[in-house]
Amino acid sequence: MGMFGILDISSAGMDVQQARLEAAASNIANARTTGENGAVYKPLTVVVRSAIAQEMGAAGTPIDTANLPLPTAEVVTQDVAPKLVYDPGHPDADERGMVSLPGVDPVSSMLDLISISRGYEANLRAFDITRSLLQRTLDLGKNR
Amino acid sequence: MLNVDPVLALLSRALDAAALRQSVHATNIANVDTEGYKRLEVVYSAELQRLNAEGPALDTEQALQWSQIEPEVVESAETRVRLDTEMAQMAENAVRYQALLGAIDRTLGTLRYAARDGREG
Repeated sequence: MGMFGILDISSAGMDVQQARLEAAASNIANARTTGENGAVYKPLTVVVRSAIAQEMGAAGTPIDTANLPLPTAEVVTQDVAPKLVYDPGHPDADERGMVSLPGVDPVSSMLDLISISRGYEANLRAFDITRSLLQRTLDLGKNR
Repeated sequence: MLNVDPVLALLSRALDAAALRQSVHATNIANVDTEGYKRLEVVYSAELQRLNAEGPALDTEQALQWSQIEPEVVESAETRVRLDTEMAQMAENAVRYQALLGAIDRTLGTLRYAARDGREG
């Protein structure tokens, strides 16, 4: 992989954090979304995989340098039990007066936001460093 | 590689290694949330350790031998990716990369000076 490929790696890393951000934001925004007949919003989560991670073995196993693992994110719904809240006046309440709220954990969503922002910043910083190294490499031999 | 200046051959190999390190740090950072991912690192093969035992490269042939050695990417003993450690190492590697660029630039300058019979400009 040449120097320009490094920018692709950091972009893939930023894409992953972007997907995590969208999932967390959607969970927070839908924390009180209800539906008719107990239909309820299912919290989203992101599964991050990379091609090589599945085959990784013991320490010291050599990896093809031309084929470093790029992460990909997949957004999936979580099967979390809804939270039942007693609210008989609510239009979506069942015959017992219970309303199903999504099983979103607001605290863990907020914690996710912190780790997402740190992850995104790290990838952005890596992208920046690589870009400036590339720029300097292009300037090689200019001083004459 | 053609009949290149051994200093330039060594420096460009070192620059390749620094570029590889940069991409490995970027890969580790990008995969910080990947399931089952193990941290990668750049190492030099047993070949370098053998040459190292022979002492530093003093003549042209030894220097060219050294410049043939390719670094490898392997799974690290420390399997977890720590963002701050990774960033610190990447910053350090960037400084090394720029130092190598400077050294290559000066070597090229010397060759250019020789090619002009020592005349400036």
